[in-house]
This record gives sequence, structure tokens and C-alpha cells, in this order.
Amino acid sequence: MKGSRCLHQLKSLRLLSHAGRRLPPAAAAAGDNGALFRLHSSSLLGGSQCPQREVLRHFHSSPARTKSQPARFVQEEDKTRDKSLVAHDDLFEQVAKETKTKATFNKVIDVYTKRDIRRRGHVEFIYAALKKMPEFGVEKDLTVYNKLLDVFPKEVFVPQNFIQRMFNHYPRQQECGVQLLEQMESYGIMPNTETKVLLVQIFGEKTHPMRKYQRIMYWFPKFMHANPFPIPKQLPEDPVDLARFSLTRMANDWDAKVTVYQLPCTDITDSGAEVTLPHIVGIQSPSQMEALAKHNPCRPVFVEGPFPLWMRKTCVYYYVLRADPAPPEEKIEEPYDPERCFMYPLQLDLDLDRDLGDDESFDVEDLDDGPVFAMCMTSQGDQATLNQWISGLQQSNPILGQIPTLFRLGAGPRELQGVGDTDSASGTWFSSHAHKEEADPGEDAEAVVEEEPRRSQGVKQ
Amino acid sequence: MMNMNRLIVSRTFRIGERLLGCHARHAGQEELRLQQRRSIKTHCRHLAYAKDLFLGQVNKAEVFPYPEIGNDEVEEIKQLVAPVEKFFSDDVDSAKIDREATIPLETLQGLKDLGLFGIMIPEEYGGLGLSHTIYARLNEIIALDGSIAVTLAAHQAIGLKGILIAGNEAQKKKYLPKLASGEHIAAFCLTEPGSGSDAASIQTRATLSEDGKHYLINGSKIWISNGGMADIMTVFARTEVEVDGVKKDKISAFIVERAFGGIASGKPEDKLGIRGSNTCELSFDNVPVPVENVIGEIGGGFKIAMNILNSGRFSMGSSCAGMIKKLIELTSEYAATRKQFNKSLSEFGMIQEKFAMMALNAFVMESMAYLTAGMMDRPGVPDCSLEAAMVKVFSSEGGWICVSEALQVLGGLGYTKNYPFERFVRDCRILPIFEGTNEILRMYIALTGMQYAGKILTGKIKEMKKGNIGLAIGMVGKKLRTSLGASVDLGLTGKDGVVHPSLEDSAKKLEQNVSLFGSTVESLLYRYGKTIVDEQLVLKRVADVLIHMYAMTAVLSRASRSISIGLRNHDHEVLLANTFCNDAFFKNNYWMVQLQKHSPENNDANIKKIAKQVLENRAYICSHPLERTY
Repeated sequence: MKGSRCLHQLKSLRLLSHAGRRLPPAAAAAGDNGALFRLHSSSLLGGSQCPQREVLRHFHSSPARTKSQPARFVQEEDKTRDKSLVAHDDLFEQVAKETKTKATFNKVIDVYTKRDIRRRGHVEFIYAALKKMPEFGVEKDLTVYNKLLDVFPKEVFVPQNFIQRMFNHYPRQQECGVQLLEQMESYGIMPNTETKVLLVQIFGEKTHPMRKYQRIMYWFPKFMHANPFPIPKQLPEDPVDLARFSLTRMANDWDAKVTVYQLPCTDITDSGAEVTLPHIVGIQSPSQMEALAKHNPCRPVFVEGPFPLWMRKTCVYYYVLRADPAPPEEKIEEPYDPERCFMYPLQLDLDLDRDLGDDESFDVEDLDDGPVFAMCMTSQGDQATLNQWISGLQQSNPILGQIPTLFRLGAGPRELQGVGDTDSASGTWFSSHAHKEEADPGEDAEAVVEEEPRRSQGVKQ
Repeated sequence: MMNMNRLIVSRTFRIGERLLGCHARHAGQEELRLQQRRSIKTHCRHLAYAKDLFLGQVNKAEVFPYPEIGNDEVEEIKQLVAPVEKFFSDDVDSAKIDREATIPLETLQGLKDLGLFGIMIPEEYGGLGLSHTIYARLNEIIALDGSIAVTLAAHQAIGLKGILIAGNEAQKKKYLPKLASGEHIAAFCLTEPGSGSDAASIQTRATLSEDGKHYLINGSKIWISNGGMADIMTVFARTEVEVDGVKKDKISAFIVERAFGGIASGKPEDKLGIRGSNTCELSFDNVPVPVENVIGEIGGGFKIAMNILNSGRFSMGSSCAGMIKKLIELTSEYAATRKQFNKSLSEFGMIQEKFAMMALNAFVMESMAYLTAGMMDRPGVPDCSLEAAMVKVFSSEGGWICVSEALQVLGGLGYTKNYPFERFVRDCRILPIFEGTNEILRMYIALTGMQYAGKILTGKIKEMKKGNIGLAIGMVGKKLRTSLGASVDLGLTGKDGVVHPSLEDSAKKLEQNVSLFGSTVESLLYRYGKTIVDEQLVLKRVADVLIHMYAMTAVLSRASRSISIGLRNHDHEVLLANTFCNDAFFKNNYWMVQLQKHSPENNDANIKKIAKQVLENRAYICSHPLERTY
């Protein structure tokens, strides 16, 4: 153990001397701010130094290390050493001027790792990088996290004896490692074996980051399929497909049938004006059709909406066809018909009820919300469009011709789009409440209570 | 249910008289004397052996001694059976019928010449006028070819049964002779695409024509056995009937001739088994049916359908027994000749077990079938629908197991078409399905008994729920006594015993089962009341216990008689009876333990949960064992 420590020190000494020798040429390019790419390409030219470095690298056997090291950056690092955290942020900002992509992010890490073999300020660098990740759109990329973890020097922080192991060895570094894992966790990124190998190399077994890793690996697989209604990572792009998917998800009925009443298309009328037809996608299950067929035609049905539905970070709006709950006097239970079943009695003629001890039902306060007969999604929630939906429904539900249909449309989705950025979990709650507050007061005032003239001719009241 | 039965009984009284008359072969003339005889007989006997078991009582007079037939009937059987057996062994090529999916005309003609199309039609209408018992005996032979058995059963067990039990004199005179001779073939048209046992979803409709002389029938019926070749059909259709001034739809039964026109039969179904029998769809398009062809009264079709279905089932016991007996002959020859490791197959224990199982099943089925047939042949109009349903459930399931075990004895050979076993397996598969699926029949068996017991026990249970201390102490005392091992004595053995002493142990086991069953039923009624209708898993066990108790009764009764009159090989019967009773006793006990509250043996809650989750997803929902999450 001691031997390796000595070796390590020796190695760092030699490295320093190397760096010293390489200083002058690097100084020439020190002032060059934005030319990271050029720096990199020039570092490729310095291939002659490779053999030396190969020898050194044997001490830190990091697999993710790039082959070439930029010679001139050591100098830059020297320059910014006292500037603390801000320096690393700057490093990212410099690159960001071009484009913020995974490639540039990786480049920054490469640049950092190559400019100083001692990796001074790597903790600060990693914190800064973590903060910048969402900006570069790499916050959900496991390879990037692994690359970032690779910035830590290897074996240096591994406790060597029981005292070190007992006390918090290199607490800042460990904390930083935990922080990195925590960020992965919050984005739902599951570490892989490479992460584990890196953590073992950097911090050793039974250290805080390693514990964190183990906890993540314990819980993540358990929660992976916790949602019984999973949403695909990549939602369908086509609005019709998205509507089909969201309606099926909401209806949660295997028998429910999705009907596309109208595909989106753009037409040019005779007068030359461009008309965009919205898509209309509806869903209805056989049991809903049955309920609608039994609906008392004297009582109106309502088309209501729009209601928001969040699918990950996308918000879609839907409309429902519903009715008020039937008054109690209209609810007649079908009387028992003893001549119903040829084979066995469907009911017993006994004056005995289930014993209390065997009654396993819960007392649930049932609130009758009224039946929902169908749902639809459209890109244009005006009455004319929804009317088209209702007349489409009428083909399979002829009774709709006799029932007065009232449109109670709230404010359109336009005002709500602002909420779009919120994260899905809290977003759904927030937006639906926001919507209610927004739409409800307006509903009474604006409710378009109007029957469709074409169908109201058939109304029998 | 009780009420209904009573209604049916009263309505079918006249029919019964007629049947009786035919049976006694003095139709009409000595009606008065007959009436007297019947009334005496019916008053002195209960009609409810199986129902009384629900109360923990053994109505031994009902099932002991085992029913016998007169010597003249034995002679009759001898005369009848020999030619039928000869015909089936010489002239029926079952493999060909199965292959070509049709019964050749010569074979059908042969069956007609033997009179097998009118076994139970009274002689005055040109039939053989035989009793249920002899019908069951003939079915043992007929069952050797599944296709013929089903064709004949569809013809006479259900197809023409409506005319026989509910038709008026004119209808009988007009139709029965030709049906008896086989000139006309009958079919029973009840099932529809949207309606199995649900009368409310029958769509076929009969509307009275303007002149009031015809009903016009419209609709379609599916899975009609003999549908393609039937000339006379019993069709059930919805009719509008006025009840108390309110117009209601009720089911009515009609006799429909193909000659009326407007009937189209579809392509015969391509089936797994019983391929020679003709099953197809029938569609009725404004078929004019004269009003005189209504069976019974208009709107009374429901009860007719129920009676026909209930009365047709008892013969399956003897059919299956006949089949198993044949299978034992076929397989035992193979088992005795085939050698492995210098030993014949019959020396291997696991092969021996299969033969013992087949013999046991055949014995039990036979006993149940002829006990039930004997009960049905008694004067009066005995309601044996419960017993008949039990015979059907037991024999169809036992038959299936036996046939597949017989095939197993032959191994790979049995699986080929060179041997008849695969055909038997295929043919046998229909038994648990038709004439009321076994699931539905179990509901019928359990609920009929529960209704009967519930009516009698309601008062007692209400007292118990009120907290009647005397009653509670009595119950606890009874339970204590039984748990301390006091034997139950229901009078099967001992001084007035009806069971032979060599079967005493088995009889005691039956008594113990019956007594425990009585208290189980009581506690089930206490716990579930009328909501027991929804507890299908409970009802299934109740039905199973009852079926096995009835089977025990049948074997005890039969074996006792065999010993007493010294039939050949009665010691073998005693052995079979004791073995079966022992087996059934432990099965029954296990099921009844499962029926107790909080029984650890009972998995019902989990079973329901599993089924619910699977059905919600309409798929097997476990992840594949090779899947991983990290």
C-alpha cells in the first residue's frame, strides 16, 4: 500500500516537470479564447509526446480517457486557477457560443481532462458541468454522466486503511460523486456497470457514492414498472396518432373503438382561400353506446370541454359527450324474471340476507357524476367542428337524432399553453386546477346553449 | 324454484298420466284405476332424495333397495339388445363415419329398422314404448359410436320430447308415428347466436298473421344437431302475450315442419368430435306455422324447454359406462400382450391403476344411471332433474378422464388414427359441453338444493341470528358431540339397516358426509343467505359434494342388492363400492373443510384475484423470465 502511494507521488512529480517543460509553447495560445476546436486540432499534431504519456497513464487505468492530451491547456488552467468556480462555467459558455449539443459538452470535458493530469479543481468542474447539463440537453444521457465521472482521478480517494475507511475520506469529492448520482436519479437515469467500475476505481467499495449507487440500483428496477399505465418515452408525432393514443389511454376499455371522423388536411377553396380542416378523433365503447341508447331522449346531452390531458410534457385537450345523472325516479331496476334462464334459477326466493360477518364490501359514498357517452379530440374546439363529431357519432348511435345536444364549451386551450413547461407530475395538477378556475366562471356566462338546427328538427319532446 | 317445480308438476300431471298410461300399455281405458294407484303411490313417497341430503337427511326409502325391473322386461332387454349389439359390431363403421363426417344412409336405415328412432315413444304411436331403464340400457350400446348416439339423442331425447311430454293428442297422432319409424327426423332448436341459456336474449320471433291462423317465424338458430336433415323441429321463439293487460314477450314452442317452407340450413359445422352427426345453422324466414302447432299454450315455451332439457340427461351415465366397458376390453388386451423388460404392461402398477380407475368409474356411472332411471320409471311424475343432472356431470367428466387414460395405456399407438382411441377422446369432449354445460348444471344442482333447504331452514337461521341461546347451545352441543367422535346414525346400517354389513364402513362414511353436509349447508345459508347465487366457487363445491354423495348412495345400494341376491362377482362390486366410497369420503371432507369460514385450504379469494387481473388485461401478464430491468 505504501509502495503505491510513493509511486503515486513520484509520478506526480514527474508530471509536473513535464508540464513545466511544455509551458512556453502553450503560453503562445493562452489568449485565444474561443478557439477550442483549433486547440484540439493542434493537440492532435503534438503526437510526438504520446509515448511519454502512455507510460504515465498506466498508473491511472481509465478506459474512458482520450488518447491525446492538449499541451497548451495546462497553461490556461494555470491562469484560471485562482478564478474558482466561475472559470468552469466560462469554459462551457465559451463553447456554448457555437452550439449547445452533446458533442460540444463532451468536447469541454475532453478539454478539461486533457489540460492537466492532476485535474485540479475537478470537483468544481463537475459541479459546474452538472449545472450545465440541461442546457446542453444531455441531462438524460448516461454516457455523459459516465464521462463526467471519469473526470475524477482514479485511486487517489480510495481509503487505504481502516482509519480512513472509518472517517469520511475526501469528503468533498465523495459529496460531489453523490451529487452526480443524485442528479442522475432525479432524471431517472439508471447507472450501468461502467458507472460502478468507475466508482470503485475512484472511491473504492463501501464509500458514500458507492452506497448511493447501490441504493439507486436497489430502487430503480423496483420502480421501473410501477406505473400500470406506462407512457412511451417518445410520444407519437402525428396529432391523429397522439389523439388515438391518449383517447385509448383515457377510456381504458379494451372494447372501445377509436374512430377518425376527419383527417387533418389543407384545402384551397375556389376563391383561393386556404382552409385547414382540423382532425377529429373520437372514441366510444359498446357499453357507452348501450348507455346512450337507453338515455331518455327528453333529457339533453352535453358536449363539454376542453379538458386538458398531460402526456409527459405534452398537453392535449379533449371533449366529452355526457349527460346529467338520471333522477332517481327514472332509475328502474329490471325486475327479476324467473323465466330468464333455462338451466338454473338466477335468484333464490329466500328471506335471508348475507351475514354481516361475511359482508366484505366497503361503504363507499357513491356520487353519481352522470354518464359519459363518448370522448373526442380535435385541434379546433369550435362548435362547428364538434358538431361534425356529433353527427359522425349519430351514424352509430341513431338516438342522438332525437336527443337535444347542448354545447358547453369553455375557454379554448390558447390561454393554457403557458403552463406547457411545467414538469408533468405537478403540471397536470396545476394546469387542471388553473383551467377550472379559468374556465368555470366563464362557462356560465359564455355557455353556448344552442341546439344544432339540422338535428333539432328531429327532436321529439 | 320450488314453486316452479310445483307448477310444472301440476301442469305436467296430465302428461304424466298419459305417459303412465302408455307405460302400463292400457292407455286411456283404465284411467280411473290408474289415477288411484298413482295418487296412493305419490303420497307415500317423497320425491326428493338429493334435496333431502341438503338437510343432512338420508331418505333411504327412496334409493334402497336398488330399483329392479320385472322378469318380462329382462326378457325384452335380451331380445332387444342382441340385435342392436350385432348391428353395431357388424354394420357400423365408426372410423368411416368419423372420416367422412356423415352417417351412411344404410346405417341410418338399419337404425330405423331396429326401431331405435322411437325407443320411448309409446307403442300406440308406433314406437317401442320402452321405459327409461331400457332406454338407458340401449344407450350403452348406441354410445359406441358417438355420432350415432348424438343423432339419436337429438332426435328423441330432445327433438321430439316436446311433442311427447307437452303436445296434445292431435299433435301426437300426427307427428309421432312418422318420427318413431324414423321416416321423419326431429331437431331441437333453442340456441341462438346471442342466446345460450338466456331466454331473454332469444331473438327469433313468432308473429301472428293477420288472419290469425298462422304464426310467422323469423330468426336464426345455431348448432342445431340434425339441423340439416331434420323434417320436424321444435322451435322456440318469442311471442307477444298479454299478461294482466300488459303486453309481454314470452317464449313459445312450435312444431315446425321443413315442408312449411322458408327454412334454410347452413353448411354443417366441422367439429372436433362426433363428426358424423349433423350440426348446422338454421334460419327461418317468415315460416308459416299453423296455430295448432303450438306446443302447450302460447307463452308456455319456457317450462317446456326446461322440462325437455331436464329429462334428457340421465342417459349419459349409461352411455359413458358402455363406452368405458368397451375401452377396458380394447386396452386390456394390449396391456396383457405388450411386453417391456420381459414383463407385460399389466404387471406395472401405474398401468394397473388406470384399469382400476376405469372399472371404478364405469361401475359408479352405471349405478347412478340405473338408479336414476329406476326412479324415473316409478309411477307418478317423479322430478328427478336434480339426480339426472348429477349423473350427467359425473359421467361426462369421468368419461373424459377414462378415455384419455385408456389412450395413455397405448401410448403413441393410441395417438394415431390406426386405433379408435383418439376418436373416442374427440367424441367424448362434447359430453361436458352439450345438454347444459357442466358449469351451469353445477349451478342448477347446488341452487336447487339451496332453495329447498333455505325454505325449510329460514326460520331456524333467523332465530339463530336473533341470538336464541337455547338453539345456539344445541348447535354447539351437536358440534361437540361430532367432534368427539360420536358416530352419526342415519339408519343405513344397524337394526333397520338397508345396507349389507360388508358395506357397513362405507355406509357410515356416507352418513358422516351427509350429516356434515347438512350443517355445512346450514352455515352457508347463514353466511350468504340469498346472495349465495353469486358465490359460484362455493356452489361448485356444494354441487361436487352432492354429486359424490349421490354416487356413494348409488354404489352402496347397488352393491347391497348384488350381494343379497347373489349376482355373479358381487364380491368385486363390494370391493369397487368400498374403494369408491373411501375415496369420495375424503374428497367430500376436503371440499367441506374448504367451505368453512376462514379455511386455510380455501384459495378462492386468490383465485378470483388472479382471474380478475388476467381478465382485465386480457392476457397472461407476468414478465418473461428472461427479461431484466437493469
